[in-house]
Amino acid sequence: MKALRIAAAALLIIAAIGAIGAKYFAPSGYAHQFRETPDASPSGQHPLGTDELGRDRFARLLYGMRVSLLLAPLAAAVATALAAFLGGIAGYFGGWIERCLMVVVDLFLCIPWLFLLITVRAVLPLNISPEASVVVTFTLLGLLGWAASARVICAGTRDMMKSEFVWLARASGFSGLKLLRLHLLPNLKPTLLAQFWISIPVFIIAEANLGVLGLGVSEPLPSLGSLLRELQQMVTLRPEPWQFVPLLVLILVVSSFQTLLNKHEVRV
Amino acid sequence: MLRSLSLGFLRLLAIMVLAGLLGATLMRIAPGFGSDEQQLNSSLSSQSIQAIRQARLADSDIPRYYGHYFASLIRGDLGISQSLNQPVRDLLRDRLPVTLRSIGIALSLAWFLGLALAMAGQLLNSTAFTFLSEGLSGTFISTPAAVLALLFVLLRLPPELAAALLVFPKIYRYCHNLLQQSYGLPHVLTARAKGAGRWRILTWHVAPTALPQLLALVGVSISIVIGVLLPIEVICDVPGIGQLAWQAAESRDLPLLVNLTLVVAFITVCATMLSDAARRRFVRSAA
Amino acid sequence: MKRLRRLQFLFALALIFSTTALPAQNGGELRFCLSGEPKTLNPLAVQDNQSETVAYLTSGVLVRVNRITQKAQPELATEWKVLDGGKRIRFKLREGAHYSDGTPFSSADVAYTMQKLMDPALHSAVGDAFRSSEGKVSTRIVSPTVIEIIFPAPVANLVNLFDTVAMVSSASPLKEMAALGPFYIAEHKSGSYILLKRNPYYWKKDSNGRQLPYLDAVRLEIEQNRELEALRFRRGEIHLINIVSPAIYDKFSAQDRGLVRDAGPSADTEQLWFNQAPTAAIPAYKLAWFTSTNFRRAVSEAINRDDLARVVFRGHARAAIGIISPANRFWFNDKLKPHPYDTASALRRLQQDGFHLDNGVLRDKGGNPVEFSIITNAGNPARESMATMIQEDLKKIGIKVNIATLDFPTIIDRITQKFNYEACLLGGVNGDLDPNSQMNIWLSSAENHQWNPSQKAPATAWEAEIDTLMRAQASSGDEHKRKQAWDRVQEIAWEQEPFIYLVNKDALVAVASNVKNAQPSALRPQTFWNVEELALK
Repeated sequence: MKALRIAAAALLIIAAIGAIGAKYFAPSGYAHQFRETPDASPSGQHPLGTDELGRDRFARLLYGMRVSLLLAPLAAAVATALAAFLGGIAGYFGGWIERCLMVVVDLFLCIPWLFLLITVRAVLPLNISPEASVVVTFTLLGLLGWAASARVICAGTRDMMKSEFVWLARASGFSGLKLLRLHLLPNLKPTLLAQFWISIPVFIIAEANLGVLGLGVSEPLPSLGSLLRELQQMVTLRPEPWQFVPLLVLILVVSSFQTLLNKHEVRV
Repeated sequence: MLRSLSLGFLRLLAIMVLAGLLGATLMRIAPGFGSDEQQLNSSLSSQSIQAIRQARLADSDIPRYYGHYFASLIRGDLGISQSLNQPVRDLLRDRLPVTLRSIGIALSLAWFLGLALAMAGQLLNSTAFTFLSEGLSGTFISTPAAVLALLFVLLRLPPELAAALLVFPKIYRYCHNLLQQSYGLPHVLTARAKGAGRWRILTWHVAPTALPQLLALVGVSISIVIGVLLPIEVICDVPGIGQLAWQAAESRDLPLLVNLTLVVAFITVCATMLSDAARRRFVRSAA
Repeated sequence: MKRLRRLQFLFALALIFSTTALPAQNGGELRFCLSGEPKTLNPLAVQDNQSETVAYLTSGVLVRVNRITQKAQPELATEWKVLDGGKRIRFKLREGAHYSDGTPFSSADVAYTMQKLMDPALHSAVGDAFRSSEGKVSTRIVSPTVIEIIFPAPVANLVNLFDTVAMVSSASPLKEMAALGPFYIAEHKSGSYILLKRNPYYWKKDSNGRQLPYLDAVRLEIEQNRELEALRFRRGEIHLINIVSPAIYDKFSAQDRGLVRDAGPSADTEQLWFNQAPTAAIPAYKLAWFTSTNFRRAVSEAINRDDLARVVFRGHARAAIGIISPANRFWFNDKLKPHPYDTASALRRLQQDGFHLDNGVLRDKGGNPVEFSIITNAGNPARESMATMIQEDLKKIGIKVNIATLDFPTIIDRITQKFNYEACLLGGVNGDLDPNSQMNIWLSSAENHQWNPSQKAPATAWEAEIDTLMRAQASSGDEHKRKQAWDRVQEIAWEQEPFIYLVNKDALVAVASNVKNAQPSALRPQTFWNVEELALK
């Protein structure tokens, strides 16, 4: 497992260096269209070929990683923090506070948020920069993606409130937010880490799907999610192997996160 | 018992009403409400275009629309879909069973796979198996629903299986982490020290500790499955409520949206209430 | 002698049987997809493509425009005469025609149809096309097979309009579900399929006297996903695809050339326009750019249309010239040529309006950097790609373009109600060859005068001239005069470019190899316009 964790860390570092240094590693800009060679196969000039508009895929992958791999974990952290805070408070206080918050959670799970997202897009200026648009998108995803996990955290907190170590902590004078922060939430780490890990790829893919509403990244800025949309033509057009590279990168990055986060593996 | 059932029913009703109202309000304030593709038809006269627009805006007063809707609901009338020109009741009657069946299959498979992999990982104590499970869950959680759904259509596999494969990584992740945490607890370490077998440790000592949170997860996993299944239905052309939901969103079909929101709210809240009840019962009996 | 006569008799018999045996086309179920659920099965209330398809397959019309020759040919009317300069039309109806339930067809049904069609509450596009002015449309039944329809004012394109008017029965208990066309609706499973069966009373026969249609049934599968439609075609589950994307066309063509066909340039257009409405929610200096002809012409010259056709449409498109596609042989003004791709000329035009390049950024005379957004509908990969290529093209002359792909209802809201957009990239679907159907685009007072709708008075001299020309051609029954007027409208539109026409796409279709007698057309419905003659091997 130690070797795996080292490999995972190395992969993430390589991905980060590639994303940050995209300007230096990319053979051309992500927007430049080589119109004479659309849909080209990999070559010396284009390591992963070109897309349907003749743009270098490798360049777009590097810049796409920059957008997705920076913002998705941030959004996941926001969603996890909200779930921890609201779920923790509900479980800690119980009673009508818990009931009210769980009603809010259930509402969050049922309401068609699509229209809120459409409204947000309407409020944003049409000339918003692609970078600002994608930051807004991931922020929204973070603010809306906490509900499912909050329920699980609430249940965990409720049960933990009856445990001996919590009684001991309370007897020692811990209460309120301090008890929540120092004793309850650390013991909910497995649930919180699960939420965080799940949210990263879900938000990356969701960002691409939000392109239908005018949110997400706008042309010509790429993101991992928008690169994955090419695969939707697989049924008829049978994508070439190099078109799967963004999917492979996402799987490797997500798996690496997962490996690094599970450092306290307990063996029976 | 009666009191808790009544409170539960009231809670369900309150959430359904609020969800429907909020969903309708969000649709009303979102741009595009009242728009109809026919407005761009150059063959239509000004008067016709105005009439079409007025007809779409007839329900623009949301509180009045909602009151009227509930009055009709009592009579069993769910309204007429503006985009499909058919009674919503007939549409739901034809399509809801398809989606409910898909939810049942996808949820069962996802839980079976997720829980089985998590438990097997603990029992087998194999780095290779853990690596494989993590790789599998990492692969499916990173694959867009559209891509997997289309691949399944290509391979002529059932779309419910695609939904199960997309959901199981989330269940696996939670189960794995919860079981992991439980293995570190003092009473489990004591049981190990006393020579208890792996299966006994898992079933007698670990699972009861993790179960309350797992039961809470059962409730929310239904909304996760619905969230995954609806786009799969659209992509794979399954005639369920997923297609209706997309239709309602695309054409700002208020009657359809309100009814679908109520249906989803009903399913979600019932699931979470049942899982809460199961969890409370378990905790009481364990105590 | 006796033996010779016997031989002659046998020979004659063999000849008779051989001719009646040809063509050996018989039965079968044709299958293709609808992209969604039809909104209505009432052929007079058709609003969407899916309803139009069902109506086309089941309805009888007085006149049918042959999609290949683009000429009107007799259907339920054997003869017609336009009188009073287009104010009256007299039809002689075919005798012996019956609806699918056996109810006979007569002039009473035509009168009933016109009465229903012209009901203002129906809001029918076809009905609106007949409303050339205020006043009632009336009918005069001369005999069971002769009817006159009288309009308050001349109606342009009068004869061809009847290609879209489905004759509904005044007497049948099935009402508008009684079909005069080759098929009738037998089954309808919502969200799944519509099954049409052969109309046993269909009037048309082939050249051998055999009753049409050859097919037993047509099954319309409801399939929203274009990828799945293509997959089903490849698997042999469906026989036709009316609109194939260029990528799929090339893929299928590489596998089997016979599967797909390029029917040539379609009548559809793709265009970009700027918001010129005075109430537009945009800064005044941007409005000044958009209302300048020089600015629009410069943008047009900076767009490489050949690249759009070659890259986005893989060569299955050509640079558009103007409002009418070359596919529309009669109405297209063939004196006009595509706008050239010339960035130097574009910059010269901009300089005339006081624009200048400053470190690679184009600025207006007030020093404002030239930047605007283009909205287009999400989920249309071709339009998204075109917008991206236009963004790159305009970058070369220092213009920054931001692209916002929005869902369709939001776009409709922005361009028809709120006017809070700067530029829009959309397409025009032209089902009708006669450009009179674009009246409500070119009249300055019309709602669909996209760049500046519902004007109380024409904002510019050229729009005033177009108004005059449009009204003149609408009230003229002389096709030659109408053609002259439309030629002039095309010239003005070419010079002023309120719409920057980009490309005319080719009509790409797929027809399975076991479908006989298919003659794909660039005009809708591309693959099944002659459905009564289609057969399966």
